[in-house]
Amino acid sequence: MVNWAQVIFNSGVTGSLYLIGAVGLTLTYGLSKFPNFAHAEFMTLGAYIGYFVAEQLGLGLPLALLVAFLIAGLVGVLCYRGIFQPLAKRGASIIHLMVASIALGFILRHSIGAAWTWKPLYFTATWSAFDAGPLRITGLWLWLIFAALVLSLAMHFLLMNTKIGKAIRASSSNPELALASGINVDRVIWITWFIGAGLAAVAGIFRGADTQIWPMTGWDIILPIFAVAILGGIGNFYGAIAAAFIIGLAENIGVVGLIALGLSTTYRTGIAFLILIITLIVRPQGLAMLFRRA
Amino acid sequence: MDPLLYVFDLIVFIGIFGIVSLSLNLEFGFAGLANFGKVAFFLIGAYTYALLSQIGLPFYLCLIAGGLISAIFGLLVSLPALRLRADYLAIAVLAFGEILRLIVKSEDWLAGGDWGITVSSAISLAGASHRVDALVNIALVYFCLFICFTVAQLLANSPYGRAMRAIREDEIAAETLGKSRAKFKAQALMLGSAMAGVAGGLYAQYLHCVLPGMFMPMITFTVWIMVLLGGPANNWGALLGAALVEIFDRGTNIVKDYFVLPIDPSNLQYILFGALIIFVLLYRPHGLLKESSIKTKALRLAYNGRRSIKNKRS
Repeated sequence: MVNWAQVIFNSGVTGSLYLIGAVGLTLTYGLSKFPNFAHAEFMTLGAYIGYFVAEQLGLGLPLALLVAFLIAGLVGVLCYRGIFQPLAKRGASIIHLMVASIALGFILRHSIGAAWTWKPLYFTATWSAFDAGPLRITGLWLWLIFAALVLSLAMHFLLMNTKIGKAIRASSSNPELALASGINVDRVIWITWFIGAGLAAVAGIFRGADTQIWPMTGWDIILPIFAVAILGGIGNFYGAIAAAFIIGLAENIGVVGLIALGLSTTYRTGIAFLILIITLIVRPQGLAMLFRRA
Repeated sequence: MDPLLYVFDLIVFIGIFGIVSLSLNLEFGFAGLANFGKVAFFLIGAYTYALLSQIGLPFYLCLIAGGLISAIFGLLVSLPALRLRADYLAIAVLAFGEILRLIVKSEDWLAGGDWGITVSSAISLAGASHRVDALVNIALVYFCLFICFTVAQLLANSPYGRAMRAIREDEIAAETLGKSRAKFKAQALMLGSAMAGVAGGLYAQYLHCVLPGMFMPMITFTVWIMVLLGGPANNWGALLGAALVEIFDRGTNIVKDYFVLPIDPSNLQYILFGALIIFVLLYRPHGLLKESSIKTKALRLAYNGRRSIKNKRS
């Protein structure tokens, strides 16, 4: 007997994680016009910084989230300014930018491996599990859903009601016109990379706390996160919200289906890949048309 | 360890990855396709070889079958993928490779799942020493490499290859001249996948096993480094890149044994790889060797004719 309430709840947890991870990717993809594969390593970096602050310094999860957000954001901006901006200025093609982002990923991943070794680490904080009706819930999951909610509201406010948010939307949809209207597009891109990499770090901490931390933490979930960004429509924040929960739901219902069919549950990650490929083939613009562009 | 054997081993690896590098050069260098799932076709070739050799087919049939099946998959992937932009194609093919790896990892009945299966070597001489075995492998690998290189070279200099480059430079202009981009891209992917499939077969029989862990996305990007470093759209560059990357790989492994570094060399190696590729992209986007100019009989005649006229005048 499948506990459907649990499946739905788990989908919400998975979706929240993917949403936090994908917001940065989709915004930077929309602005800089290339998929940043090193986004995976921003997540990994965040997970390790979070581990360092929360476990080794013993300062707790909220502070870990904040510190990881700031440091990873800074690293994101530096990477953009140091690598991608010069490349773009030299007229590098999108393929070159993608390869450069993978190369950056190598550098970050193996620097992390050198600093912390490749042995998996675990957050020792025990997240109290409790039952609420038919549901089994852990404190971490509640934190995660809360974080996704706060993020959604904050991003909505940022994009719709602040000057910088409007500048991000303008630069994303028409960079030339934004430049002509006096928007400092370069600065907008830096701020977006800061926010994007910072949020990736937050997602990395939650992923690390839920499973384990190792230098592949980010790479393990980068393709589902790409699936969210593309299904939601690149650069489209509201599309990403819907896509994150669709993919979360598909994965968790998919696991039930896999068990029913007697297949290995390692295919779980394959479900998101499949959605990714089908979206790219059938509807590469994603759900973008259904949502206001943002 | 026997130093000579070590050198032979290096030569075999350069040969196998030279083939993969040539195949990516065909797709990326000439046709401008971002194949971020090269390892998928390498995997198909390797597993085809492993499974067919288990039922007792001779090695050359296994290699050819690996190439063919890989080519069919290349065609299948290309059908929807050709409508996609470069970035979408890259992500789709990357995901395709990961799905394939998941399948061979979880389906134990197919090829031993995580533990893989052993593969017998293609040509085993009775009572041969390791060195002789390695030499036989070198002969086999370089024979395949020679064929692939000849095909790639002929293609690069033919009207067909020029049409491919034209599509890479400007799809719409090429299409107005009647060159179907979909057809050319599909064929480039098919041919490239076939080469990668043969290389996969060679790899499987050389290492005597196939396991999912051998086909991480890392392989794809190592091959990308080879092509970008050597020089896209130059077949000699692809080979040079393969040789340099493999030698660098071995070099850092040797350094590991003799020097104590403050940082784990296997990490350092990838950090250096990453830095190298960014450096190449920033300062030498055309790689070490420039795109080869086209060599045809007509061009040679025209050039020689002009020179002979000059000689007469003087």
